[in-house]
Amino acid sequence: MEQVQYIGEHLLPGKIGQAAIMLSFTASLLSAVAYFFATQRRAAPVEAGQWLRIGRWSFAAHGVSVFSIIGIMFYVMINQYYEYQYVQAHVSEDLPMKYIFSAFWEGQEGSFLLWMFWHVVLGGVLMATGRKWEAPTLSVLALIQLFIGSMILGVYVGFGDDPMKFGSNPLMLLREVVDAPIFASADYVERIAGTGLNPLLQNYWMTIHPPTLFLGFASTAIPFAYAVAGLWVNEHKSWLKPALRWSLFSGGILGIGILMGGAWAYEALSFGGYWAWDPVENMSLVPWLILIAGIHTNLIANATGHSIRSTYAFYLMTFVFIVYSTFLTRSGVLGDTSVHAFTEMGLETQLVAFLGFFALLGAVALGLRYSRIPNPKKEEAASSREFWMFIGSLVLLFSAMIITWSTSLPVYNKIMSYFDPDYIGRVITDPIPHYNKYQIWIAVFIGLLSGTAQYLRFREQHFAKQLKRFSLHSGAALLAAALLSYLTTLWIEVNAWQYQLMLFFSWFTVVSNLDYLFITARGNLKMAGSVVSHLGFGVMVIGILASGLNQQVISNNLFVMEGLIQGATEEQMRKNVILFKGSPLIMGEYEVTYLRDTVDKFTRTFTVNYKKRDSAGQVVEEFDLKPNILYDKSFTKIAASNPSTKRYVDRDIFTHIASLPMVEIDMEYRKEREDSLNYKTHSGQLGELIAFRDTVPLRDQDTFYVKDFRARILEVDRSPSHPDYEEEQGDIPIGLDMEIQRADEDSVYRIKPVLVLRGQMLYSYPVQINDISAKVRLNEEVFDAVFGREMNMEYSPFTMKEGDQVNFNGHTVQFAGFNKNPEHPNYTAEDGDIAVSAMISVQGAKGGSYMAQPLYLIRDSRPFNLKDEIAPLGLHFRFTGINPEAETVELQLAQSEAGEKPLPFQVATDSLRSDYIVLEAIEFPGINLFWIGSTLMMLGLLLSMFVRIQQRQTARA
Amino acid sequence: MKKIYIVAIIMVAVSIGLLTTAAEDMSTYATFADAASSGERVKIAGQLSKDKEMYYNPEEDPNYFSFYIKDAVGEEQKVVLLSEKPQDFELSEQIVLTGQMKGEEFVATDMLMKCPSKYKDEEVYIKSEAQ
Repeated sequence: MEQVQYIGEHLLPGKIGQAAIMLSFTASLLSAVAYFFATQRRAAPVEAGQWLRIGRWSFAAHGVSVFSIIGIMFYVMINQYYEYQYVQAHVSEDLPMKYIFSAFWEGQEGSFLLWMFWHVVLGGVLMATGRKWEAPTLSVLALIQLFIGSMILGVYVGFGDDPMKFGSNPLMLLREVVDAPIFASADYVERIAGTGLNPLLQNYWMTIHPPTLFLGFASTAIPFAYAVAGLWVNEHKSWLKPALRWSLFSGGILGIGILMGGAWAYEALSFGGYWAWDPVENMSLVPWLILIAGIHTNLIANATGHSIRSTYAFYLMTFVFIVYSTFLTRSGVLGDTSVHAFTEMGLETQLVAFLGFFALLGAVALGLRYSRIPNPKKEEAASSREFWMFIGSLVLLFSAMIITWSTSLPVYNKIMSYFDPDYIGRVITDPIPHYNKYQIWIAVFIGLLSGTAQYLRFREQHFAKQLKRFSLHSGAALLAAALLSYLTTLWIEVNAWQYQLMLFFSWFTVVSNLDYLFITARGNLKMAGSVVSHLGFGVMVIGILASGLNQQVISNNLFVMEGLIQGATEEQMRKNVILFKGSPLIMGEYEVTYLRDTVDKFTRTFTVNYKKRDSAGQVVEEFDLKPNILYDKSFTKIAASNPSTKRYVDRDIFTHIASLPMVEIDMEYRKEREDSLNYKTHSGQLGELIAFRDTVPLRDQDTFYVKDFRARILEVDRSPSHPDYEEEQGDIPIGLDMEIQRADEDSVYRIKPVLVLRGQMLYSYPVQINDISAKVRLNEEVFDAVFGREMNMEYSPFTMKEGDQVNFNGHTVQFAGFNKNPEHPNYTAEDGDIAVSAMISVQGAKGGSYMAQPLYLIRDSRPFNLKDEIAPLGLHFRFTGINPEAETVELQLAQSEAGEKPLPFQVATDSLRSDYIVLEAIEFPGINLFWIGSTLMMLGLLLSMFVRIQQRQTARA
Repeated sequence: MKKIYIVAIIMVAVSIGLLTTAAEDMSTYATFADAASSGERVKIAGQLSKDKEMYYNPEEDPNYFSFYIKDAVGEEQKVVLLSEKPQDFELSEQIVLTGQMKGEEFVATDMLMKCPSKYKDEEVYIKSEAQ
C-alpha cells in the first residue's frame, strides 16, 4: 500500500506517551539496580548513599513517567482521539464523563497501569518511612514494576518474520493495530467512532471496585518486599514489625476490594448473590487467606520469636499468588470456566515469566537462608495462644490450597495436554457445592480456634493456674453459643448437622471475643482490632448461613407443572415467573403486581409493586421495586438488566427482569412481526353486531385453534385520540369507537383504532388487546366508507330563527342560538376570522337528546362552513349562511341512509402479548449480617494497623 | 517430634483424602452419547446449531428455552434450558451446559456461553463500507 498522508491525527500525545513508557521501563530497571547496590554495599555507607540517591531519583523518574502515561491516556480519552486504539475500544461519543475512569481500567493495559500507579504511590510512602529497609524493599518493588511495565511496552524483539512481541502498548494507533480498507483514506479519523464502555460496566461500582482491589493487590507487594529484604540482608527479626503494619493495611484493603466485587455482583448485576466461586473471585480470595495466615504468624513471631519461617513463607506466597491470579485471569487459560476473565492478548509468556521469576526468587531466597532463620528450640506449649494461632494459620493456608487446587484445573489440563495431545481436560461439574463442601469445615475450625485462642496467653508456662479461669470462660461461652444457636434456628432453618456445627462455632467466636474484649482485655484498644475482626468473622458466617442456606426464590414458578421436569433440584432451578401488567400474583408472602414501565433514553424502568396483607385482607405493608433494563443503541437487544432490592434490617427482597416479550426487546423484530401479522378485514354498519372467526394453526401439530369474535362499531370519531398519536395541523384523522370480545369470554374491550391522513401519507395507530392476543387497525378503505357516505348524502335546506323547531325524518330539530366562541374539532382560530356556530338541539325519534354545532366561518372575506354530525342518529348538519336583517340562519340537514357502504376494520388474532415481564425474585434473609460481619473483619484489620502506627509514633516520641 | 508437625501431618493427610474425594466432583466434558449412557449430571461443550429452531415462549413457560447444539463429536441434540433465553444467545460461539439426559432431550440447569468480543477489525471495516 502506498504511503498515505493522514489528516486530522493527533500524534504528539502518543509520541510523548511512548517516550514515557520507555522511560518508566528503563527507570524502574535503573532504580532496581541502584537500590540493589545500595543494599549490597551497605557496609560502605558513602558508596551505598550514592547508590541510594540514584535509586531514589530513578524511582521518582519512573513514578513521574507512569503518571505521565496515565495523564496522556486520559487526555486522549477525554478528547476522544479515536485514532488511538485504546480510545476507540473503550470510549464513545455518548460515554458520560463520570465513566471515564471505568473506561480507563476496562482494558488490560489500563488495569496494569492502575496497578503500577499504586505501586508508585506505595513506593513513595515506603521511601519516606522505610529507613534502613528502604533500599532492599524498593529494589524489589522496582523489579516488580519492571515486570509489569514490560506488559505495556509493545516492542518487538528478535529478527525475521516472527519477532517476539513484548507487551501491549496502550498508545498504539488504530491503524497500526488493525488493517482495514478505511485506512486508505487520508481523513479516516473523521469517519471512525468509538466502541464505548460495556454497558454492564457503566455503574459506580466499576469506578470504585477496581482501584480498591488494585490497591489491595499492590499493597501485598510490600510485605513480600520486606520478606525478601529480611532474607537478603540476613536480619530476620527487625523487618517483622514494619511488615506487619503493611500487611494489616493490605489485608484490610484487599478484603474491602473483594467485598466490593461481591456487593457489585449482588447489587448491580443479575447474578442473584454475592459470591459464586468463580475462578476470578477465588483467585483474589486465595492471596487474602494466605496474607491473613501470614499476619497471624507475624503476630506470633513478634510476641514469641516462633514462626518466623512461616511468616516469611506466607508473605512470599501472598504476592506470588497475586501474580498467579493475574496470570489466570489475564492469560485466557480459564477459558470457558469463568464468566469474567480477560481473553488472550499474547501476554501469556510474559505472565509466566513474571510468575516464575518471583516464585523462584522467593523460594531460592527462603531456601538459602532457611537454616539461619532463628527458630526457638523450645516447642510451643499446646496450651499457649501461639500454638493454636499457628494451627489457625495452617487452616487458612489449607483453605487457600483447596481453592487453588480446584480453580487451577484448567491450568493442569493445559499442562497435561502439552505432554499428551489426546488428554481430555477435566472440569468440576457443579462448582458451588464443590467449594462449599470443603469451606464449611474451614469456617468451623476458624470459629473454634479464633474463639478459644482468645482465652489463652502467649508463652504460657503455667496453664494449670489458668485452667479454672479458662474453663469458666470457655464453658460459659459454649453455653451462650448453644443458646444463641438455638434461637437462630427459630429464625432460619439450619437442618444439616454440619451447618448446625458451623452456626454454633460462629456464635462461639462472637461470644468469646466479646467476653475477651470487655472482661479480660477491659476494652484495651490494642486488642480491639483482633476482637472486631474475629467477631466480624463469626457474624459473617452466620450471615452466609442465613442468606445462602435460607435464600428463597419467591418467584419460583410453582404453577407451571410440565411432565418433563422432575426432581427437586431442577424444580428449584426454575426461578422465573411471568407477570402480566396489572394482574397480581402471590409470591411468598407478597402480592406482586407489575404496574407500569417508563422509558428514558435507553433505560426502561419497570415498577413492580409488592403488597403484604394480613389475614383480614388489609394491606399491612406496601412498596415498589424498580428494576430496569438498558437497551443497546440500536434498540435491538438488552445490554444490561439492573436489579432492584428492598432492604430490611433482617432480609432483602431482590428483584430483576430476566426477560421481556421478544417484541419489547428487539424493535426490528417488532416491526418485522408487525408486518407479518395476519390481518383480516371485517366490516359492518354503525351499531351492527359483527361476528367473525379465526383459525390459528397450533405449533408442531396438525390442528387448528378456532377463535370466535364479536365486534360492534359504535361511532365514527373525527377527532379521535390515541396514546401514540400527536395531532398536527392539516391532519385528517378517523377513529372507530368499537367494542370487541371473544365469543367464549365475558370481557368486552372498548377500543379506538385510528387512521390519519397527513399530506400524502397514511399513519395507522392500531390497538393491541393483550388479553385476547388481538390487534385491530384501520386501513384506507375506511376513508372511502366515511367520505363516500357524505358524497351520496342529500342535504335539505332550512331557514330558521332562534328558537324555531322543525321535524326532520321524525327527529325534532331546534335552532337554540349562536355560539360566538365556537369550538369545532376541525377548526383552529386564526386572526381576522369571523366564526360562529349554530347550537342545534335534537330530540331523537326514539327519544334521547343530542347536540350539534355546525360552524360558519368567514376567513379572508370568503365564507366556509364546517359540518357536524350526530352519529347515533345519522344526522348531518351544515351551517351555510346568516341573514342579519331577518335574524335567520341557513341550515342544511341530511340523514345518512342504512344500507350504505359498511365501515371496514382489520383484526389480527395472532398478535403476541407484549404486556408482561419475566421476573426473578429472591429473598435473602440475614444478608446484612454478611455485609456487617465481613466489613467488621476488614475494619478490624485496619484498626489494628492504626493502633500499631500510633504505638510506633509514641515509642519514638 | 513437635506437636505442630503432628498437626501438620494430619492436615496434609486430611487434604489428600479430601482431594481424592474431590475427584468425584470432577468430570470430563461429555458427549451426548456419554450423557445418555451414564444418565448422570455432566457438562457438555458444544456449538449452537443456528439453523435449528430456538424456542422460548414465556407465556407458556418462562423457564423453558429449547435449542439444538452439536457436541464435540458432532452429534446434534435438542437441549432444554430451565431458564430464560439469555441475551446474545445467537452470537455464542461455544456453549457449556450442565445437566443430564432425559429421554431424547438434554435438560440443562446451567449454561455458560462464550461470545466473540466485539471484533474490532470487522467493525472498522463495516463502518468504512457504509460510507
